[in-house]
Amino acid sequence: MRRRHDLTVFGVLLAVAAGVTACGGGGSSSANGPVTLTLLEYQKPRADAVAALLPKFEAAMAAKGKTVHVKLIRDILPDDQFKTKITQEYNAGDAPDVTDYGATYIPGFAGAGYLLDLSSYLTKWSDWQTFFPQVRKQIVQPDGKIYSLPHEANTQSIFYRADVLQRLGVSTAQPKSWPELLARLEQIHAKTGKPAMVLPAGTAWGDGTFGEGFLNVMLGASSQFYNPNDKKWIVKSPGLTQTFGLYAELVKANILPVQALLNPEPWQPTKYVDFPKGVLPVAAQGTWGWRYDWGPQGSAPIPGLFQKVRTWGYPALDGGQPYAVSSVGFEYEVTAKTKYPDQAVELAKWLSSGSAMAQQLVAVGAAAPRSGIEQIAPYSAQPYLVATEKQFATSRSFPPRPGQDQISQAVGQATEAILTGKSDGPSAATAFAKSVGELLGPDQVEGGS
Amino acid sequence: MAVDQHLAASRGSVATPRHRSGRRHRAAGLTRRALTYLVIVVLAVFCVVPFAWVLLGSVDSKAGLYLRAPHLTLHNFLRFFDQPTTPRLLVNSLVLSGGGTVVALFLSMFGGYALSRYRFFGRRTLMFAILLVRVVPPTATIVPLYIIMIDIHLNNTYVGVILVEAAYQIPLLLWLMKGFFDSIPVGLEEAAWIDGCSRVSGVLHVVFPLSRPGIGAGALFAFVNIWGDFLTPLVLLQSPDRYPISIGLFQAFSAFNQVDWGLLTATAVLYMVPTVLLYLFARRYLLQATVTGAIKG
Amino acid sequence: MVAALLGPALVLVAAFVVAPVGYALWLSLTNKTLTGFGAQTPKFVGLANYRQLLTSGDFGHSLRLTAEFIVFSAILGQFLLGLLAALLLTQTGIRLKGVFGGAILLPMVVPEVVASLAWASMLAPGTLGTLNRGFATVGVDPVSWLQRYPMAAIIIVNTWRGIAFAMIMFQAAIEGISREVLEAARIDGAGVWQVLRHVTLPLIRGPVFLFLLLTTITTSSVFGLVYFLTQGGPGQQTQVTSIYIYQHSFRFFQLGLGSAASVILLGIVLVLGVTYVRLARVEV
Repeated sequence: MRRRHDLTVFGVLLAVAAGVTACGGGGSSSANGPVTLTLLEYQKPRADAVAALLPKFEAAMAAKGKTVHVKLIRDILPDDQFKTKITQEYNAGDAPDVTDYGATYIPGFAGAGYLLDLSSYLTKWSDWQTFFPQVRKQIVQPDGKIYSLPHEANTQSIFYRADVLQRLGVSTAQPKSWPELLARLEQIHAKTGKPAMVLPAGTAWGDGTFGEGFLNVMLGASSQFYNPNDKKWIVKSPGLTQTFGLYAELVKANILPVQALLNPEPWQPTKYVDFPKGVLPVAAQGTWGWRYDWGPQGSAPIPGLFQKVRTWGYPALDGGQPYAVSSVGFEYEVTAKTKYPDQAVELAKWLSSGSAMAQQLVAVGAAAPRSGIEQIAPYSAQPYLVATEKQFATSRSFPPRPGQDQISQAVGQATEAILTGKSDGPSAATAFAKSVGELLGPDQVEGGS
Repeated sequence: MAVDQHLAASRGSVATPRHRSGRRHRAAGLTRRALTYLVIVVLAVFCVVPFAWVLLGSVDSKAGLYLRAPHLTLHNFLRFFDQPTTPRLLVNSLVLSGGGTVVALFLSMFGGYALSRYRFFGRRTLMFAILLVRVVPPTATIVPLYIIMIDIHLNNTYVGVILVEAAYQIPLLLWLMKGFFDSIPVGLEEAAWIDGCSRVSGVLHVVFPLSRPGIGAGALFAFVNIWGDFLTPLVLLQSPDRYPISIGLFQAFSAFNQVDWGLLTATAVLYMVPTVLLYLFARRYLLQATVTGAIKG
Repeated sequence: MVAALLGPALVLVAAFVVAPVGYALWLSLTNKTLTGFGAQTPKFVGLANYRQLLTSGDFGHSLRLTAEFIVFSAILGQFLLGLLAALLLTQTGIRLKGVFGGAILLPMVVPEVVASLAWASMLAPGTLGTLNRGFATVGVDPVSWLQRYPMAAIIIVNTWRGIAFAMIMFQAAIEGISREVLEAARIDGAGVWQVLRHVTLPLIRGPVFLFLLLTTITTSSVFGLVYFLTQGGPGQQTQVTSIYIYQHSFRFFQLGLGSAASVILLGIVLVLGVTYVRLARVEV
């Protein structure tokens, strides 16, 4: 105890010393004094886009008589490493003032008290009403508050190589049902002898397995997955069994690239090599594919992208109309411990408006989550993005909920067992229910485990 | 040398039985020798081959994930020093390993001296306790350590990592230092006292200088260990401007899409060079430290 | 005087090695987490974490993998190859001993992430992976080693890395055996194998046991080597206990659960450690 105490004192002294040196430049937080905000970006295209915008923000603030500097922290990381890092920083209380990440992380961080409640700022902001109602609804957290400002939206659908399908003599009409789609995929497989469709599955794809694959299929079933009234997940349902069953069928018919999905970075050989080559002509993909993956500056450019690639909606398991899945993309968050909440929110708002938003949307290939951007260059020159906005009204969606990390983890493991042939559909569904029961406990799972 | 002469002598003395089956023996000896070389070469190749790609990739202008004949260039190394982030990794590794080594060595020299020269109550138990602490695996303490570091405001700081790394090295160094000091006769020290030196200056002017090779070996050993550590900085550092090379390499390797193999392998070469050089020049001392470390603590 | 000389070193060790052990015990009884609503109010949950570990199957799986990893890479691989290297390099009249010894030393000398990186290319899938090219010469089709045989792959890598340590330990021990004893045995007509079995091995029994204990202890907590190559995957196929602890603590932030797993690992290692301390039979 004594030693621990000494060390604490030592640590405090050290922290004070660090504080003194850091404060040398005059860190007084008076309302009009110069303010330096930190902004963290962890994906290169976003960091590049934002870096170009920040001087304009500073100029805009200067025009209002405020001196606000923004220090951009670039830490280019894969999602899981980023999440580890930012969680640690929040927990230690030294996270940057403003951060930028996907909607799925927010329930966990908001729940832990790491994020600033933006509700009152947003209700006072006239632009807020121009954000699409579906978007505004999706980001409300279970406590009724809003902790993030979405600056992009996207839809996910089934992308296919129209040129390849035509060459193979496979119909490119929208499939109305999964049996119809399966029949086409089998046709492709029969002609090429290779896997026909990449649908994220297994653990190597990380959260993508849930958010870019499983969930999209599952939303076509009529079963409820989360009960917002008692805030519990429903982990046993016909819809879940159907969805796992579908994965098993895809594996059995050799339609999924099983070996690639089991590799680390499974998107590499599939989305970045075989789809661009036309060898693997069907892929579950989101709006970002147009830019981030296959655009001219993307990871694996496809020349003539807009002639060669088209999209289908997901066929519904419940017999409804095929649908796209809409979701909120990256959002700006302000850390609860920021010294300059007003300025930080100002930065988030500025980056989510007008030309600044338009440029970021084009950089990553996302649709605007609000009206009023469709006329602004360079976004206005990207008809496929603007068209995405129109899909929102008929799309299906599933806002991130607390416990989704664990759900995502369990889906990864259950689908992995299907990939390796250890499970069939029903046994994967059982294993999934069991493992979620263990991971989340009876407080968050309906019917207990 | 001595061993060889000794063997020659013993061979000479048993000339008779050797003579009896001389030819057969020699033939058998030859095959045995050939077999020995074959096996040892295979083993050595197995140990070295994985490095071929790292080395060749670092001087290849179009390096990839696969072993190939390089388009020779030193550009990858130039880029390492030219990039905004990579030289920083090297500096950080030096700061963390250097700092950790200095702290651990300094404390262990005095601690080791106490263990060697003073007979105090509980000394034996303490020595065994230190030995036992050495087997505590860092993976099993990293979670609570992380929370402790946050509580005492040393998370994500050089000082924090340096102290932790030093703490990991101290148990071994204490044992090593004690061993070295044990081998220095107390008489030499006493002579210094008689010459008017205080106890402390006796330590500084007699004991430490005489055990310089041992202290050097301990320092190198600690440095190499900290230099190679991956888990501690992975968990205790979050700012990229404080990452050591181990973390930089890992992140570059797991980068979201395109890995810059040329830069990556060049970084790896720069990272392994210091440890390889140390082993090359101080092999005897380091191996001795390894063995004594293993057997004695 | 003793306190002043020894105190600082012990304080550091107490603060950063011993205190975390105690703190792990406490944390393992809580539901400490860093995300979600639970993060704000960690609760005492008794033995719930242990119950979950012992019933979930995942942790048991990780322990089994760790055992497999130790048995095949440390106890069999490193021991046999290290002994072989030591026996060969202690023979008289072998040239270039320094070169061979140095080559075998290299895997142990380099930092662990470099070792892993080197193997990333060795084990790379497809026809261009180094290992696959080697096997192609004897007509074996290319294999995705880290996907098809991930455990075997990391076992080979860890064996490779540990040969040198075994070799050094055994070399020192063998050199301690009097030449006359070996020579006498040989003259008595004993073959290589018999000398090894009846003379050399019994004489270096002590170091052998010591090595096996030590390598078991260190192998049980190997982290970077495996994490760099597979991050515990594919699936959980290489999720040895050290990776299990890291994943649960720093990816899912279930620090209570991670601590409980740490405590169990620690318990196992300390049992081995006490044996080691007793066997080391050191003079103090």
